[in-house]
Amino acid sequence: MPKKIMVVDDDPDIVDYLVSVFEDHGYETCRASDGKSAYDVAMAEKPDLITLDIEMPHEWGPRFYRRLTNEAEFSDIPVIVISGLSGIHLAIRRAVATIKKPFDPADVIQIVREALGE
Amino acid sequence: MDFKKLMLVDDEEGVRRFLGLSLMDLGYEVRTAENGRDGLALFDEFHPDIVFTDIKMPVMDGIELLKGIKAQSPDTEVIMITGHGDMDLAIESLKHDASDFITKPINHDVLEFALERARERVSMRRQLREYTENLEKLVDEKTRRIVELERQNAACQVVKGLSDALSDAARSVEAGGELFNELPCLVSIHNRYLEIVAHNTLFEERLGNRVGDNSFDIYSDRTSPGNACPVQKTFQTGKGQRSKETFLSRDGEEIPVTVYTAPIPGKDGEIELVLDISVDMTELKRLKDELLTTQYKYQRLFDEAPCYITVQNPDLSIAEANRRFVEDFGEAAGRPCYTCYKHRDEPCEDCLVKKTIGDGQSRQRETVVTTLSGEQKNMLVQSAPIHDASGAVVQAMEMSTDITEIRRLQDHLTSLGIMLGSMSHGVKGMLTSLDGGIYRLESGLRKGDRERVDAATRTLKAMIGRVKKMVLDILYYAKSRELETERVDAAGFLRDTAAIAGAKAEAAGVAFHTDLPDDLGELDVDTAAMSAALINFLENGVDASEGRQDGRVGFAARREGTGVVVTVSDNGMGMDRETREKIFTLFFSSKGKKGTGIGLFISNQTIERHGGSISVDSAPDKGSTFAITLPGASG
Repeated sequence: MPKKIMVVDDDPDIVDYLVSVFEDHGYETCRASDGKSAYDVAMAEKPDLITLDIEMPHEWGPRFYRRLTNEAEFSDIPVIVISGLSGIHLAIRRAVATIKKPFDPADVIQIVREALGE
Repeated sequence: MDFKKLMLVDDEEGVRRFLGLSLMDLGYEVRTAENGRDGLALFDEFHPDIVFTDIKMPVMDGIELLKGIKAQSPDTEVIMITGHGDMDLAIESLKHDASDFITKPINHDVLEFALERARERVSMRRQLREYTENLEKLVDEKTRRIVELERQNAACQVVKGLSDALSDAARSVEAGGELFNELPCLVSIHNRYLEIVAHNTLFEERLGNRVGDNSFDIYSDRTSPGNACPVQKTFQTGKGQRSKETFLSRDGEEIPVTVYTAPIPGKDGEIELVLDISVDMTELKRLKDELLTTQYKYQRLFDEAPCYITVQNPDLSIAEANRRFVEDFGEAAGRPCYTCYKHRDEPCEDCLVKKTIGDGQSRQRETVVTTLSGEQKNMLVQSAPIHDASGAVVQAMEMSTDITEIRRLQDHLTSLGIMLGSMSHGVKGMLTSLDGGIYRLESGLRKGDRERVDAATRTLKAMIGRVKKMVLDILYYAKSRELETERVDAAGFLRDTAAIAGAKAEAAGVAFHTDLPDDLGELDVDTAAMSAALINFLENGVDASEGRQDGRVGFAARREGTGVVVTVSDNGMGMDRETREKIFTLFFSSKGKKGTGIGLFISNQTIERHGGSISVDSAPDKGSTFAITLPGASG
């Protein structure tokens, strides 16, 4: 069964981009445009991995991450931070990787595969 | 040695004859008298060197005779002849300066011995007198010589002392002593024979060595003492003279001088020497002109230098201020620097002058000042110590250069940099979206997925539009950015702004009061920029009031004429005047590390671009009120 990746970013174009990349590589996807809705989506969709922007309206990435990982079933979910902010590598300490925009889709796929142990 | 005449006085004829013969045998010239009165008369006539006298005699006894002789001639040897039991009288006679006594009957040996002793005494006395007289003569001679030497010495000393005194004075004024050498004074000392006794070095340089010459020889128009020179007049009148004369230099040139003379009296009150100080007028005039020119030059430099210069005392009062300072800050002399220059009641923190006076080091810093005409200027202030002759720091100079223009240019460049920095995040997002569009366009075409191709095309179109706008924005900023104004309802716009700031006030535990009536009319504003500007003021108010008892921020607006006055007030820490004047400067922050010093700078620019103005009312610990006046919508 294909793994499911949740893409969280406030820019719909970037969400479309990442979703296309992941689907083209055989993953299932779900999407959210801010931290608040991302929590609900995660609860409903049960993703296996999350790509997360840092700066978003309503609720920033790090706060969403803390809230989500407080839930037992998501406490170890791999998160890849994808952001345009500089100096973000410590924003989420347990992130499996931090990718700066703009990125190379091949790199993202490579990191996702490693994170999912494939 | 002349010791021959002997007088013998005794009332007994036998004694006179016998003793007289014995004495004559011993080689003396002997005269005799029979009592004291006769003896005294004989003494006057005979002038004996030695007298033998009996004590007990009629008419006048030996003791009376002794007294009479000693009164006339203390050096005459008087030897008393005494009988048995006359010891008291013998001792009495010794008290009256008798030389010796012998007892009757007279023993020949004793007589000879007494005579021998008397001779010795006389001889000794003579030698002593001679010696004493010689000594006195010697002392007199030596004294005369010393006095003479002293006199000469004193003359030299006067010249030298004077030179030294002048030299010292010159040195204390102008370290290095060069000045004394240039002092155009020819100093000489003259004695009463109108001879030059001594003179200073400059005198020698100009006139040659003239020690020993006649006083009048140094003048160009005097060849004899008949034409009285000032020195001669001084001796004649006893009074100092002053006259214009002409000296003849060693090269035969005429030197116009003003001669001052002063009498130097000796011990006896007579004028012994005359001091002559002559001032070379040509040299003096040249020096005077030079000094004036230099002074004038420095004063002009001081006044015209394109900066503010003050000289300050250790209590920070202004000792001197240049013309530009006085023009822009008013008459400053005597007033404290912080009052005139900074409009403060107490010294500035980090006062440069205070530190410079403390350790003698120069310092610099930047500050903002407000001139009398209300113009704000960015200043680069530098301080430098002023030393006295002993090297101690007595005052400090403060020089302020106007760097407002440089700052303005810098502000513009920096704001461009700030804008680029703040946009880089957005740019990265856009680039990612473009990548995404291209990826999806390619993959859509490859897969023949029409829907994906269309979506990708839409994304790309939108992205290219955003990139275009951003590039144009940067170009705007590079010149001066145009505002994107739109007409809005003032009340609605301000309430939206208040809603954003209210959240922050709430989070900080600061009460937030708004008073925004409905009828404020319309405004033409760039809503994003203006909203950010107003939020800046509100957030500063929250920061200033945060953590204070009953912290409160007010946001109110009212119509005034055609415009709207928006006030942002707080009851926070407030600002002193200096801070108040600096707050709109780029990178000025009173918040330490928490502030960037950018916020109010941009807010101020935004409001100015809208044709608005800001006034600030603030006092330390009383809070601050910003009144922002915005013009109403036109047409």
